[in-house]
Amino acid sequence: MPKFSELSITNTRWLNDGYVEIAFKEPSLAALCKPGMFFELKAKTDAQERKLFKPISVSSVFEGQISFIIKVLGSGTQALANLETGETILALGPLGNSFPLVEGKNVLLVSGGVGWPPLGFLRTFLKEKNRVLHIHGGATATDIFPCDEFYTVDGSAGVKGLVTQNLVQILNEENIDIIYSCGPLPMIAAIQKVAGKIPHYASLEAYMACGVGACYGCAIPVGESYQRVCADGPVFNAAEIRWEEL
Amino acid sequence: MNRLATSLGRLSLQSPITVASGTFDSSYFEFFDPKILGAYTTKTITLHPKMGNKPPRVFETEAGLLNSIGLQNPGLDAFIAQDLPRLRDGLEIPLIVSFSGSSIAEFGEILEALEKEDGIAGYEINISCPNVEKEGIAFGADPDVVFSLASALAEKTKRELIFKLSPNVTDIAQIASAAQDGGASSLALINTLYGAAINWKTGRFFTSNPVCGYSGTGVKPVALALCYKTAQEVKIPIIALGGINTWQDALEFFYAGASAIALGTAFYSNPLAAEKLHAGLKKHLEENKITLPELIGTASLPQS
Repeated sequence: MPKFSELSITNTRWLNDGYVEIAFKEPSLAALCKPGMFFELKAKTDAQERKLFKPISVSSVFEGQISFIIKVLGSGTQALANLETGETILALGPLGNSFPLVEGKNVLLVSGGVGWPPLGFLRTFLKEKNRVLHIHGGATATDIFPCDEFYTVDGSAGVKGLVTQNLVQILNEENIDIIYSCGPLPMIAAIQKVAGKIPHYASLEAYMACGVGACYGCAIPVGESYQRVCADGPVFNAAEIRWEEL
Repeated sequence: MNRLATSLGRLSLQSPITVASGTFDSSYFEFFDPKILGAYTTKTITLHPKMGNKPPRVFETEAGLLNSIGLQNPGLDAFIAQDLPRLRDGLEIPLIVSFSGSSIAEFGEILEALEKEDGIAGYEINISCPNVEKEGIAFGADPDVVFSLASALAEKTKRELIFKLSPNVTDIAQIASAAQDGGASSLALINTLYGAAINWKTGRFFTSNPVCGYSGTGVKPVALALCYKTAQEVKIPIIALGGINTWQDALEFFYAGASAIALGTAFYSNPLAAEKLHAGLKKHLEENKITLPELIGTASLPQS
């Protein structure tokens, strides 16, 4: 069950340009975190008091400490990025479902930009009992995080181009059994287009208000209805998403 | 003594704090005790299931939230079969079912079905929706239609009958009077204002429905003015909503004539908003040795 907590930041560090990692320690919450889950986070400052929380995926859990990687996009994420060790964060979570785990498979992880954290976390659960290949893409070199192969649109790091451009070849050569993805919707749609019968689970990001399933603001077209990214997801079977509507 | 007790037309509430339809779900009771609330209002249901609008559906503005959900709901039958038993058995506070229809007959059909069900303390009639019998003009915009609808529903029920009013009309007090004259036992106001947001970098709207409903902090002065105006005009109790976050906000609405208030968008910036409001209001009333009903509608002009 999710909890609403006021917690002290235990660690913060700037990663690549525009990305910051923050962490808090709360063993009771850490024990609940599964890969794919997220928290609604907000800096406890006067300016943020009447603002919405920001949905941020868990990027790692270690000895009761939960870490997040935040990309600064607006005032809410900027306020989170500005938090220093010892300052207070408001956290609602953990929220959402999680990636189904497998054993004995050839697994492909595909992430784009700030879609990396949930797959980085997922990898720690899969690596012992599967063969895992993680490919990652971004606009430029500062969008790149640790993985096996990386792509940048501007060619400033790794292979020039999109993370999905060699996908058909990878799926065949690596004999991929299952795909997990997180990133921009066009990236996930491009993966699904070539996935065929290979199971593909995607963690979606959406603009959210409540984060707990109450407001239906973050709905996306799935099956024959609209489902809530916060409460029915964020992980969906990508084959069930009505991509033509997005 | 419970200084926070208040009443609607036919219903006594142990707390004047309720929730705005469509903003709240029992999942919030993970975070606070339901008894903080005087009543629980459901998301608006319709006769048939509604898919809701295309995403993106929400966008946060400088001071408040835009939404265009499109009344996504499972429909009356699924509500009665699944949601109602869960709410009825789990809640220890009065349950108010919000519903909407596309014709007076359809509103009547829904109410008749709900009348057969136990555990419902009242209805919130959402009239901010298009009337198919009047070229799709919102029910809530025409006082004659509101009177007819209230009359048609009032004769079918002895439960609390709350008309939820839209601020997007020329004279809300006139609509309120029509609801009262038809037989509404209380009013809830305001529903969302019109609102929109466009990305200046791209010229694109942020939401797939260009014109959304606007709620939250920024609408509070509008809601307060309309609450005051309506309270001057009608005798039936008012549940005020629109940008209320704190106990101080709530007090302003009580002075303006509201008998109860509802929180909505406030939950999205603070899941404990209701609990905090309850504690602050209780302390204030105790310190001033006054009960809530004593200060309702007592707003006065500035000293000259």
